[in-house]
Amino acid sequence: MNTKTHQFVSRLLLLGSQLSAAAVFLGSAASAGQILNVGDMNSSYNRNIWWMSITVIVMAILIFIGVSYALFYTVNKFRDDKHTAEPAQFHGNNRLEQLLIGVPVIIVTIITILAARTMAIVNPTPTDALHVNVTGAQFWWAFEYPGSPLQGGTGTVVNGNELVIPAGRQIAVTVTAKDVIHAFWAPNLGGQRDAIPGSKKTFQIDTDRPGVYQGNCSVLCGASHANMRFKVVALPKAQYDTFIAAAQAYKAPAPATPSAQNGYNIFMQGKASAAAAPCSSCHRVQGTPAAGAVGPDMSFFGSRNTLGAGIWEGKAREAHIQPWIKHCAAVKPGCLMPAYDKLSDQDLGDLEAYLLSLKLPDAAAYWGKVPVR
Amino acid sequence: MAVQIPTQAQSQRPKVLSVLIDYMTTTDHKKIGILYIVTSIVAFAIAGLLAVALRIQLAVPNNTFLVGNTYNQVLTLHAAVMIFFFLIPIGLFGFGNFFLPLQLGVRDVALPRVNTFAVWGFVFSLLLVIVAMVNGGAPGVGWTFYYPLSVDSNQTGVAVLMVALIINGISSLLGSANFAATIVNMRAPGMSLWKMPIFAWSIFATSMLQLVSLGGLTAAALVTFLELKVGVSMFNPGIGGVPVLMQQFFWFYSHPAVYVMLLPYLGIGAEIASTMARKPLFGYRVMVYSLLGIVLVSLLVWLHHMFALGIPESWQIAFMVATMIVAVPTGVKIFNLIGTLWGGRIIMKTPTYWLIGFIFNFLIGGITGMSLGMIPFDYQVTMSYYVVAHFHNVMMFGTAFLAMGGLYYWWPKMTGRFLNEKLGMAHFWFFMVGSWMTFLPQYVLGLLGMPRRYYTYPDGNFAWNELNAVSTFGAILLLVGGIIWVWNMLQSFQRPITASANPWGGFTLEWTAASPPAEYNFAHDFPKTFPTERPLYDWEQSGTKLKPVDPSTIHLPVSSWGPFITAVAILLMGWGLAFGWFNGYHPQGSPAPQLSASIILYISIPLFLFGLFKWAGTKEYAVPVEHHSLTKYDNGFMGMAWFILSEISLFGVLIAGYVYLRVTGHAEPPAMRPNIWLAALNTLILVSSSFVIHRAEQDQHHHRMTRARLGLFIVLVMGALFMLFQIYEFSLFGKESNWTQNLWQSCFFIIVGLHGLHILIGGTGVALPYFQAMTGKIDKTNHGSLTAASLYWHLVDVVWLLIIAIFYVW
Repeated sequence: MNTKTHQFVSRLLLLGSQLSAAAVFLGSAASAGQILNVGDMNSSYNRNIWWMSITVIVMAILIFIGVSYALFYTVNKFRDDKHTAEPAQFHGNNRLEQLLIGVPVIIVTIITILAARTMAIVNPTPTDALHVNVTGAQFWWAFEYPGSPLQGGTGTVVNGNELVIPAGRQIAVTVTAKDVIHAFWAPNLGGQRDAIPGSKKTFQIDTDRPGVYQGNCSVLCGASHANMRFKVVALPKAQYDTFIAAAQAYKAPAPATPSAQNGYNIFMQGKASAAAAPCSSCHRVQGTPAAGAVGPDMSFFGSRNTLGAGIWEGKAREAHIQPWIKHCAAVKPGCLMPAYDKLSDQDLGDLEAYLLSLKLPDAAAYWGKVPVR
Repeated sequence: MAVQIPTQAQSQRPKVLSVLIDYMTTTDHKKIGILYIVTSIVAFAIAGLLAVALRIQLAVPNNTFLVGNTYNQVLTLHAAVMIFFFLIPIGLFGFGNFFLPLQLGVRDVALPRVNTFAVWGFVFSLLLVIVAMVNGGAPGVGWTFYYPLSVDSNQTGVAVLMVALIINGISSLLGSANFAATIVNMRAPGMSLWKMPIFAWSIFATSMLQLVSLGGLTAAALVTFLELKVGVSMFNPGIGGVPVLMQQFFWFYSHPAVYVMLLPYLGIGAEIASTMARKPLFGYRVMVYSLLGIVLVSLLVWLHHMFALGIPESWQIAFMVATMIVAVPTGVKIFNLIGTLWGGRIIMKTPTYWLIGFIFNFLIGGITGMSLGMIPFDYQVTMSYYVVAHFHNVMMFGTAFLAMGGLYYWWPKMTGRFLNEKLGMAHFWFFMVGSWMTFLPQYVLGLLGMPRRYYTYPDGNFAWNELNAVSTFGAILLLVGGIIWVWNMLQSFQRPITASANPWGGFTLEWTAASPPAEYNFAHDFPKTFPTERPLYDWEQSGTKLKPVDPSTIHLPVSSWGPFITAVAILLMGWGLAFGWFNGYHPQGSPAPQLSASIILYISIPLFLFGLFKWAGTKEYAVPVEHHSLTKYDNGFMGMAWFILSEISLFGVLIAGYVYLRVTGHAEPPAMRPNIWLAALNTLILVSSSFVIHRAEQDQHHHRMTRARLGLFIVLVMGALFMLFQIYEFSLFGKESNWTQNLWQSCFFIIVGLHGLHILIGGTGVALPYFQAMTGKIDKTNHGSLTAASLYWHLVDVVWLLIIAIFYVW
């Protein structure tokens, strides 16, 4: 299969769903925005299973038409207002029955062989794949790159809820979980894999087309299962290289304003009036003493575009930073971060100012460089 | 009880209380069947309304009707109630109880009082699930209660769900064993297995499947419950356990459960097809072989729920092959249903429409099921709305359509009245269109990346808003259809009994009974020749007549309070186990026991024994009756023999789990292990007790009652001795190290402890015939429960030998 055909089929499939949606809604335009699609042909996973899928879709349509035709033909022909003859009392037909067993056996054999062969293509991890460790926790994701200290390297790259990958390369994702079972699923980029506490499983995702893709947790994991999303940012290779180099060399910039300085102090030492642990006991900021690993990494917080594991983006995100710190369970059910509602509005503002100052260098900032898919 | 001819006074409208008492004490399989059906319909209504609530929440993005864990609770109850309290019971136990004895031409099931106990256990387990909503909160973990979410400290109601599932399971197993024993022992003389109606075969197949597989669910629920209450675990990764093992246990049952939810309905569908087309079944034998083939292969496909877990590839492929194979007999059933309609003169009434609707919808569900069997595609859409659409396709607008079909088909037989055809057609079309609108968009939603069990979704994803809105609209149509259905049932009772014995012109024996059937089912005996599975047709052709019997000579089992009291005790015990405990102990993170519930737990035990002994102390029949039995075994023995299958399965699942943990190096025994010498002594005690009880049985057989009594007494003493030694050993071992911290020790306490519980159960079982012997209830014609108790005691022995091998020697 060449790429052009894939593009064509992909567009055709999309067109189909678009048309059906439009038909149902008589003119109401399908909402704009992200298109999640497990048949996205920009992923090599989907290209690899294409033959299998198309064969089976064709077979399924034939079976469906054949059997439902047989059903409705039979009912229509032999209903008692049309067919008044006394029915013949036959008990079966051995030939026909053998045929009706034989044909399904052949069909399932073909399907099984196709599926097994396709597995052999999509399952093995390519040697040149980029490795990323993914950890699911209630209710957020940690993405950790090779070369970080946790993997014995010197660089330090951990990001929360936003996974940056190079487009056009296989990404070997190794998933695990901290507390309960979650599952990693970025529909446009490949399949799903369960994140299980105490075990590590590796599989591949990829896309050829740079862009921002949505991901989800797909195993029920508690109150905010539906709010445990993430973004995959697929950058062109050169941009990715810039990002990862800058990220590895990253040291959090020193607070530049008095407000950010006060935010820094609260983050690191906490505040007696808050009556809760300082932020740094759970969150990490690269290049500062903050090294907690309980909650998401905050190193690039200012360069991110989402909050609360992909729930709020852009402006909505900025509007939610302070309410979030104040009492996150009030804005996201089941959120496990303690409430900091005793902090003054001034302190909350300062914390926000500090967090937003945690930025990658402009050249390495990944958000906004590629379109939202 | 001798049969009474209804008098004018009795046909008056009975009082509510007397009806209630009648249903509490009844041993009549028809009343029990109706109890199952009514409870199932109530459960369907509850779970259906919950589903509408779920769809309302998802009608628009970012809705706030049911948020977070509240949504999860509604979702969990919707699924658990639909599956365990509607779709499984209404077909297998509702229609099964009412129609199996009728189709076999007998007057009751093998063990009528066990049946009473089972139905009330079922009703009470539903009560427990519902009670969770008001006492402490419903579980929000999904009906699959995956570990470790099930022991998450933010969760509520998991313990009570576990208890309810176990009680539901016990009832279900007793019911299944009862059916199997009825079929093997009690068919009308002359009706061989191969001349049974297809519905009876489907009940037989389903019962066997249930008996073999239910151990998986019990094991998963039991270990989860014990972790919540005691802190022992086989799954906790913190002590080396494997969370996935819980899913293995769970799906070992819950995949076959899908076929438990399918097979009885395939039987019903085949009955409807044959009757309505005025023709014999197309390929009766192949259909039976398909049933049995499905039973066999469906036991080997459970891993296909877990492909995305990253299990070794060879295992995935093996289970994919089995998954594909099981599609073949399922396809055969569909083809043969169409073949049965072919060439007939099809009466187009509501049951026929439900059948046709089923075939068409199930075809879609079957095809999408095949697509899910293809692993690379499954990776993409498993746990998405595609799967939600698929299983609602096969369950809701697949098999549930035949539950409706069965109801419309057998309603005249059960009530003597017809359901209104016009309302029935409205009900059908609302369900048909409603199902399509609700679930077909969900296939697309899955392909567009929407995961299942999401309480909310963001605005702006391509087509999500529109598809979800359509789906919610479909659910409203289903609700309207449901209301029409309930109205249809209620209005039929406003009208007089008009149905003849055989309103559809059916061919099986239930159509020779009056509509509704008299207490004694048949006022006639059947000819002893059954040329095919359609005796009424054959007898009409050959001019064979039924032989009338004077109803006053028929004896039926007497009503009894024993089973109901025992079931009430089980309800209280369940309440106590779920919300209270034997002491104040509770592991970190699990809720503290409630004092009132603990008191109820203690009260339930004497009540349980009272009910049981009252039950054992009254005879099944008021006058000595010669049971007709097709085998040389009595019904008690036969029922127990089938029931034991489930015990073997339960221990088999748990032991397989332990062996897996041991072989893979997860569970290493601690340095200090229980001593072999005490176990050896216990083995000696238990093995000798097996010989003693066998001896006692022989003595009873040869009417040496004094020696039999003595034998039973010795067995009881030996059992008690065994328990004492084991308690001593447990307390020693429990002190040596912390059982919540060592996986091997956890496994030891779970499995050996469960065996200890079985010694208690078996001992109680032996105490019953001892009590019967002491009070003169056992005599020449009546074994009481001796044969069953003895068989169970042997099982407990054999399991012990296995335990010795894997826990003490290995």
